[in-house]
Amino acid sequence: MSNREALLRALREQALDIRRNTWRALHAAGSGHMGGSLSAADLLAALYFHHLNLRPEEPDWPERDRFVLSKGHANTALGAVLAQAGFVDDGFIDTFYAYESRFGMHPDIKVPGVEMCTGALGHGLSVGLGMALGSRLQGKDWRTVVMLGDGELQEGSNWEAAMAAAHLAPLRLTAILDYNKVQQSGHVAEMLGLEPLADKWRAFGWSVRECDGHDMEAIVDALDALPAAPDKPSLLIAHTVKGKGASFAEDTYLWHNNLVGDEVYEKAIAELGEPA
Amino acid sequence: MNAPKQGSGTEPAWVKAAANQSRLAFGLAVTELGRRDERVVAVGADTLDLIGLRGFIEHAPARVIDVGIAEQNAMGVAAGLATTGLRPFVCGYAPFITARSMEQIRNEVAYADQRVVIGAAASGVSLAVSGGTHHALEDLALMRSLPNMTVVVPADSHEAWHATLATDDIDGPAYIRLGGRVPEPPVTPVDAPFGLGKATCLAEGSDVAVIACGALVAPAVDAAKELAEQGIGARVLNMSTIKPLDEEAILAAAEETRGIVTAEEHHLTGGLGGAVAELLAVKRPTPMRMVGMPDEFAVVGPTNRIRARYGMSARHIVDACLDLLG
Repeated sequence: MSNREALLRALREQALDIRRNTWRALHAAGSGHMGGSLSAADLLAALYFHHLNLRPEEPDWPERDRFVLSKGHANTALGAVLAQAGFVDDGFIDTFYAYESRFGMHPDIKVPGVEMCTGALGHGLSVGLGMALGSRLQGKDWRTVVMLGDGELQEGSNWEAAMAAAHLAPLRLTAILDYNKVQQSGHVAEMLGLEPLADKWRAFGWSVRECDGHDMEAIVDALDALPAAPDKPSLLIAHTVKGKGASFAEDTYLWHNNLVGDEVYEKAIAELGEPA
Repeated sequence: MNAPKQGSGTEPAWVKAAANQSRLAFGLAVTELGRRDERVVAVGADTLDLIGLRGFIEHAPARVIDVGIAEQNAMGVAAGLATTGLRPFVCGYAPFITARSMEQIRNEVAYADQRVVIGAAASGVSLAVSGGTHHALEDLALMRSLPNMTVVVPADSHEAWHATLATDDIDGPAYIRLGGRVPEPPVTPVDAPFGLGKATCLAEGSDVAVIACGALVAPAVDAAKELAEQGIGARVLNMSTIKPLDEEAILAAAEETRGIVTAEEHHLTGGLGGAVAELLAVKRPTPMRMVGMPDEFAVVGPTNRIRARYGMSARHIVDACLDLLG
């Protein structure tokens, strides 16, 4: 097996573990946001175990790449990947929603590895732009990656940030859109459609690339090709499936946020198969 | 009180450049901090001249980032800059940089406890002819309600300079309320030391205490003079930090006088008067009167006429003191 095949296999395993740990956290809490966590799992695995330059044992390492989860309601997946990467103990996953836990529904900057309190939608790209400007002003070469949700692109503040990022480029700034097509109350296209989305971002001055957000090889190829253009911020539109990996939860707003009892948990875990 | 020194040959250059406008003094102080410290960054929202940042641009253009008329983005960018160890000063219009970006201030600045200093020019009714869309009479209530936030209301350009320099010692977020293009008569000495969280006494008296901030400090001093002519001793406290509040000075005033009158260019709800009342209601119930903007939107007109119309003048402070003393 080539190094690349080994990498892809390892990343796929990490992605499956993110899904398993997401369900584990949700089961411990009894409910939570599964849909947008499961759609982001493959992207998070590729970011944390391949793309981002991080030191889990030194979370505040000044030269680290910055990652901002703008779609903060996918915090279960973030908590899972932070535990898998070693930023927090494995037991952190079981503290989801627990009294006085740092692992609530949305990311808390006090958790090692979390760069900003997010989850109020439409905020992350501005913060990431500030980070990227901070990197440039200090003559650094570390990068900033912001993960956006599709529903949150309905917030106008994203477009302020998109316009400013293109104007202030060159910057080491990448946005990754977890385009799972479903938001809290229904399909994005029916709520407030985003298309033609790639054209909109291009018109705002971004370099845009698209990929299948569940095809690990495609994700890695796209991340390795960053920046897509030297003088523009990059957007990677990752086409995903809400609730990916749980047949009953896929592509439906009903599993944006839902209860997770024993039966749901066991079914979801079984569908993910045996750990490698 | 100590008469402020004006026009002496030895006064520092910033005094003249600030032209008795706290917004310009803030910009000059940010520029001064920027010369001392490469981590200082100014973030604007089409506000370079509102704040007076041309000197900073000449000194270090890369460290002046104006994101255009987009306050939400400006605040998020500032928070992101702060996480990287830089020291951003956000320069905006008080009515917009507070209300428009309130969620960014709450989450990324206050909740995330980032060292972002917000300079908010054109507060109160300084943009009086602009109408209610451009008045900021609720900004203190908004900012004061946020944990971690320091809230400062300089009384004049001198205090704005010193208060801005003093933010160097703050680790978390701060809000500095500034005036508009209407000159602010100096009421504090050019070289007065500024202590965050410390009121200064501008007039001694033991009959009544007037606790004022910002544009109402000068009228409070005038009111004390008028009351003195009637044989009434009015203590005037310049409460230039609204949060954290100088509880000691307020409690002492409550104990040593017959009552307290607050005066501010802000709605009567949630500002300085509210802060003082909240403290006294719990720790030392004291007769109070509150001078400020009533619960309505102002009409259009010149700033001083608008202030007078809605009860924010020396005469209204005198009346409030006399009413309190019966």
